[in-house]
Formats: sequence, structure tokens, C-alpha cells
Amino acid sequence: MYRIGVAAVWLYRATWGALFPTTCKYHPSCSQYAIDAVRRKGLLRGSALAGWRLLRCNPWSRGGFDPVR
Amino acid sequence: MILFKIPIISQLETVARHVLNWFHGTLHLPWAWAIVATTIVVRMLLVPLTVKQIHSMQNLQRFAPQMKEIQKKYKGDKAKQNEELMKFYRENNINPAASCLPMLFQLPVFIALYYSLRTFSHEPAAKHPGSLSFLHFIPSIADHTTSHWGGYVLLVVYVASQMASTLYMSATADKTQRILFMFMPLVFVFVIARFPAGLVLYWVTTNLWTVGQGLITRRLMPKTPPPDLFKRTSRTPPKDDGGGNGAKPAAPEEPKAGAARPAGQPRKVRRKKGTARRR
Repeated sequence: MYRIGVAAVWLYRATWGALFPTTCKYHPSCSQYAIDAVRRKGLLRGSALAGWRLLRCNPWSRGGFDPVR
Repeated sequence: MILFKIPIISQLETVARHVLNWFHGTLHLPWAWAIVATTIVVRMLLVPLTVKQIHSMQNLQRFAPQMKEIQKKYKGDKAKQNEELMKFYRENNINPAASCLPMLFQLPVFIALYYSLRTFSHEPAAKHPGSLSFLHFIPSIADHTTSHWGGYVLLVVYVASQMASTLYMSATADKTQRILFMFMPLVFVFVIARFPAGLVLYWVTTNLWTVGQGLITRRLMPKTPPPDLFKRTSRTPPKDDGGGNGAKPAAPEEPKAGAARPAGQPRKVRRKKGTARRR
């Protein structure tokens, strides 16, 4: 099931991510975080975690080392 | 490019269509200019985000020599390099410029426009009265960009504007990466040529906005750094992690911060370099 999420991230990376290249302020990057999250927590919880991470990845946040736990 | 039509997408399309209809019907803008207006509205909504981003990007540039050193040190290991950079940011209280949210915000807009333009080309002209042409050189913004010579002009403008906006907005200090990003549009132009001309118009407008914004903010904000940034002589990393997001990663980072203490060494060099720096 989590493969759907991983595939979505790869699709994003190949299209939008390649068109608008930005370096994420977090490590691992948001897309890698999303992959890790759905792998470890399943599609639903993983997606929610990834969504929350994306919201945190805004110009006001500090960024930094933030792996899935 | 084929995007699957899921319910969210048709909702997005409806919203885009409403916005375009409003610009066209109420403000009597031609369809092409309605797209330009929509783009401008979207970018205006993003102004606070981008201004902040440019701000932190300029701060970031001041630390370029140190960051280059870290990059050189961990040349082979990209992940380690990133990790060290993040640590460096934290220690020096830097807010990295790039963030995913502003970029992602434009994705739904793009998808919505893509589908509404596709609908334009499929539905009878009576459903969207008015001219679909743009500045007399593009006969229809709903057609493929390459279906008319005017589209090629638009593509050239796209490549130029995309390169220029990358120059202003790419937040990475890595030179090779910057060059790679600069030439990306040359590859993508082949994909984009298959898109409706109106979509390229959106892209061109958003790029030109980025360039204009970059020019203005550069002029308004002098290159001299704000004085509080000179306080970074302190060797102790900031104790409080600030915000909910910073608090979480603090725990796993503790042991690593201790183990990689030699990372502090380049800082000594940095002080010397900082004074010897010509720029």
C-alpha cells in the first residue's frame, strides 16, 4: 500500500520537483521524508506526517535535521 | 503529460474556471490576459513568503565560504554533507532560504489552469465567448504551444525568463547545481511545448514576476548584513530550538553534535577568511 505514496513522490520528483528545483531546508528533504514516512508508518499516517512536514517547511521555520521517528 | 483526473482536480479546475470567468466576464479582460491576471493574483498572495525567502537567501550568501568548505569536506557523501550543512545552519542561527511550501503552492494552480485550458480546447467556442488570442501572435491559448509560430516566441521567452528567475531564486550555494538548474529549462522546453500556450503564458508571467521581485528586493535591501548577525562568534550552539518544529529534532541530534565536534574547526578558519575576503 505504501508503494502508492512512494510512487507519488517519485512522480512529483520527476515532474514538478525537477521544474522548480529548490533545496529543502530540512534534512532529509521533504520528499525523502515523505518516502520514509509512508514506508514506516503506512500510507495514511505517513501521508499525514508528510503533509505536516510540508507545512513546517515554510520560510519562517528554522529547518534542520528532522527524520521520521 | 497525462495527469489523472481525480475529484480534487476537477474541483481545482472549477475554481480556476470561475476565476478566469470573473476576470473575463466582470473585468472584460480577454482570456489570455485573464490568465496573466490570475497569475499576478497568485504571486501577490505569495509575496510575504518570497520576500522572507529572498531575505534569508541574502543572509545565506554571507556564509557561502564556510558552506563551501563543508561541501568540500564531505564531497563524496551527499547525505552527510547535507547533515553537516543543517548543523551549521543551526549553530549559526541561519534560516535556510529554500522551503518546499511556496513552490508547492503553485502546483495546484498549474494543474487547475492546465485542465481548464484543456476544457477550452474541447468545448464549443460558444461556451467561452471572446477571443482566445494573445497579443496577435498567438491565435489560441488553448492550442498546443507549437501549433503556431507565435508559440515558439513564447517558448523562447519562457526559457529566458526561467533562466533569469533561477538566477534570482535558486537558493543553493553549490555552483554546479546552480548551473544545472540554469540549463534545466532547455530540457523542459520539449515537454512544455506540448502544453497549451496559455499555460506557458502563466509560466512566463510567474517567471517575470520572480525576476521583477528579485530586482526590486535587491535594490531595496542593501547587501550589507544586519548587525545582529555579527554576534555569531559565540561557540555554543543555540540552546533553545525555538518553535514546535525545532524542539523535536533536538534530541536525536545531541549525540551527533558531540561526535562531530571537529566541525567546529573550520569556523576558526572562517574568521580569518572572513577578514581576508575580498567581496
